[in-house]
Amino acid sequence: MLMRTINRTEEAVICILLVAITLLVFADVVMRFGFNAGFMWSQELTLHMSAWFVLFGTSYGLKAGSHIGMDAFVKLFSFNNRRIMSGIGAILALVYCYLVLYGSWVYLAKMKKIGLTMEDLPIPVWLANGMLFVGFVFLTIRLFILLFAIITGKTDGFKHADEAKESMALAQEIMEEKRS
Amino acid sequence: DPIVIKFSHVVAENTPKGKMATKFKDLVAERLGGKVQVEVYPNSQLFGDNKEIEAMLLGDVQLVAPALSKFERYTKQLQIYDLPFLFKDMAAVEKFQQSDKGQALLSSMESKGLVGLGYLHNGLKQLSCASAIKVPADASGLKFRIMTSDVLAAQFEAVKAVPLKKPFSEVFTLLQTRAIDGQENTYSNIYSKKFFEIQPYITESNHGVLDYMLVSSTEFWMGMPEDIRKEVKKALDEATAYGNQIADSQDLEDRQKIVESKRTEIITLSEAERNQWIEAMKPVWLQFEKEIGKDLIDAAYQANI
Amino acid sequence: MTTVALFTLLFGCMMLGIPIAFALGLSSLATILMFSNDSLASITLKLFEALSEHYTLLAIPFFILSSAFLSTGGVAKRIIRFALSMVGHIHGGIGMASVMACMIFAAVSGSSPATVAAIGSIVIVGMVKAGYPESLAAGLIGNAGTLGILIPPSIVMLVYSAATEVSASRMFMAGFVPGIMMGLMLMLVLYVVARYKKIPCQPWAGLSEIFSSGFSALGGLMLIIIVLGSIYGGIASPTEAAAVSAIYAFGVAIYGYRDMGPLKSIPWRKNGEGVVAMLARNLGQMVVTLPRIIVDKEINKVVLDASKVSIMLLFIIANAMLFAHVLTTERIPHHIAEMIVQWGLSPWMFLVVVNILLLIAGNFMEPSAILLIMAPILFPISMKLGIDPIHLGIIMVVNMEIGMLTPPVGLNLFVISGVTKNSMGWAIKSCMPWLMVLLTFLVIITYIPWISLCLPEFLDKMQGY
Ligand code: NA
Ligand code: NA
Repeated sequence: MLMRTINRTEEAVICILLVAITLLVFADVVMRFGFNAGFMWSQELTLHMSAWFVLFGTSYGLKAGSHIGMDAFVKLFSFNNRRIMSGIGAILALVYCYLVLYGSWVYLAKMKKIGLTMEDLPIPVWLANGMLFVGFVFLTIRLFILLFAIITGKTDGFKHADEAKESMALAQEIMEEKRS
Repeated sequence: DPIVIKFSHVVAENTPKGKMATKFKDLVAERLGGKVQVEVYPNSQLFGDNKEIEAMLLGDVQLVAPALSKFERYTKQLQIYDLPFLFKDMAAVEKFQQSDKGQALLSSMESKGLVGLGYLHNGLKQLSCASAIKVPADASGLKFRIMTSDVLAAQFEAVKAVPLKKPFSEVFTLLQTRAIDGQENTYSNIYSKKFFEIQPYITESNHGVLDYMLVSSTEFWMGMPEDIRKEVKKALDEATAYGNQIADSQDLEDRQKIVESKRTEIITLSEAERNQWIEAMKPVWLQFEKEIGKDLIDAAYQANI
Repeated sequence: MTTVALFTLLFGCMMLGIPIAFALGLSSLATILMFSNDSLASITLKLFEALSEHYTLLAIPFFILSSAFLSTGGVAKRIIRFALSMVGHIHGGIGMASVMACMIFAAVSGSSPATVAAIGSIVIVGMVKAGYPESLAAGLIGNAGTLGILIPPSIVMLVYSAATEVSASRMFMAGFVPGIMMGLMLMLVLYVVARYKKIPCQPWAGLSEIFSSGFSALGGLMLIIIVLGSIYGGIASPTEAAAVSAIYAFGVAIYGYRDMGPLKSIPWRKNGEGVVAMLARNLGQMVVTLPRIIVDKEINKVVLDASKVSIMLLFIIANAMLFAHVLTTERIPHHIAEMIVQWGLSPWMFLVVVNILLLIAGNFMEPSAILLIMAPILFPISMKLGIDPIHLGIIMVVNMEIGMLTPPVGLNLFVISGVTKNSMGWAIKSCMPWLMVLLTFLVIITYIPWISLCLPEFLDKMQGY
């Protein structure tokens, strides 16, 4: 139940961000063409929301198995060897997360210390760019879960097996709704 | 190991700023050969102009030269250079920049860890537009693309025009299809960014200045051994003087090239027309007097005399 | 040493099956950590810049969202039915129509992946429905989609003209003839392939089917007109037009055709209803059901699916920019280009070397980054050798097109893999044979400057410049 709530919240945030970006750009066009006006802040907000969208959504993408990779080589090996290779891969991906987390911490701390705000919005830079850190924390958690699944033999790679099940569940829900 | 100075800028190598950077690199190589090494990264190869200052604060870029409007986030005082019709020509700009008050502005961002090392000219701004503009009333209701700056926004609002912000890659098409009516820029930018090809009119308004400030991080600059720092500063000053000389002649050359292209018409203003513009835009000074400081504005205005 | 480490890490990670984005990011960060004085902080700053300072990249999620609404809602089905009725009886007809669609969308969008994102899923499904193997369809569209940067408007051309002295509008004009020529070449090859592979033709459906399917597809076909019209009518920029198309696609799927969403199976006109009553009822229902859109499961799924693909693509692109940033800070492309410049080649040989250099760079870097580094170095040499700057520009653009399709960093490959939900390896295999057409085209473009220069020179003469 808790996992389900977390999932739904995550999905909702991602969808809301994409819809908000689209509406904001559309509003820009309407304002300029229809009302001969414009917002100075809309470009900066749009661009930052798109960065939040990607950074926040990347860990979800790992869960949903939507990140693409080259699996041709790994496929040549047996299930257990694939697990070893993917395990190393997951650890390397964790190293990547660690490096980004470390770098972004230094960067954000520097911005906070200087007290820099964004160009058009009165928001501190460290807060606006903080999604860099948050997104990679989520990604780290997801990678640990994946690594655990690989170790316990539940999966052998980055494409999560649960994904198929889950989209089935969603399809079923839609079917049920249709019936009612 | 030599001290490496990464000089990052966002324009092409054949612009005044680009040539200044190359000159600086050559001078340093000649005089401080084994001790200091300058690497120039033009065309936003390293970072774009929104992020290059942040990268410098992190210590991975040592020298940048953004447009003065870009410093709004670091100090409100530098907004003075965006005030419309404050300087009548580049000589006045140069005079103010070299004055005590102008030089003091170089250290206005010390609390943010930035140290100004000098001013680099580009030139005076003109208005390019899809329709002919002679008097302020002609600009009323038209849409102009500007850089982020409260002063520049207020300047266009003062003549009832609509200031808009859009990235360069979009601006070109928007100007071409007349979704945006015009923009303000120096002759050399209008030429190098090809705006003259798609904007049928350029009003020679000389209404504002577009200059750059050479900036380093205090941490890096003060961290250099004093004798080396002095030599580097000397090379930088010489390169800047050289760059400014080029900027002045390039302004005229690019204006001439634009005229010869026959793709656009340059509209010059009579004294009376120009006064109308000044009258319409001057209230902007009052609006920003508090943030900038009245004495500073007065001092800048004195440079015209 | 640095170069070796960078590439070893990249390929090593990819062999282990790590998602490409992570492989690019890890190899970049680790290389910086081990060999460079740069801090990790400024590299993560670069990562954030790659995600937050590229407005034109937003066209990708917008077009993906728009095509998700069209293909899930049954709008695409109607368009496919119409296309089948028009050209289904011709050998390779649907494929040719798909290339045509790519050419039209190339005139709308300034980037290649955005072009594929806009119509890829729809036309690939259409071709599969008409009996084409999916890989053939995907390969064709992956290639035709590269036209996005050759047919104006083009972001890559803007970058080229900003980095050199070349006129942007002349570059745009110069792209027209080569763009159409490449489209025709793809159609021609497809015709031969369709004949050879004996891809079935549909029987001629008759005029009445054309009219009825055309009428039913009108709402979907209007999208092209709205997007084209909003750009060339001076309403929106190419990126903004992509957002407009997403909003339109939503409107037409949910309120126009009502294949999904809260108004599903509620007819526009009930039996015996007057016109005024009908309009009033529909308008009222649209307003009243607005809140239900937010919780509608089917609509949510469309947005979520579009989000997943967009996030995947944008995250790869950001990490690819990071990778290019490391190459730049280590000045690797600079050194190679400067070395070539010193060889003192003849124009003919110089162009061969330029093509090879750009093709290799195209494997690892994203087009704008390549142009910003290479154009200023190669431009002055080609001027000295008497190569026309416009011609050089078109050569570079065609090379960038090919780079969209070459692994490991090939944006069109990622989009194809994302929208068809197939693996990267599959996408590479599908696009590879068609790449031969592009390479042939590159040779033609390189050694016949007239193709690139005829239109801009003709227009200049007309206007008396
Ligand atoms: Na295009
Ligand atoms: Na590539």
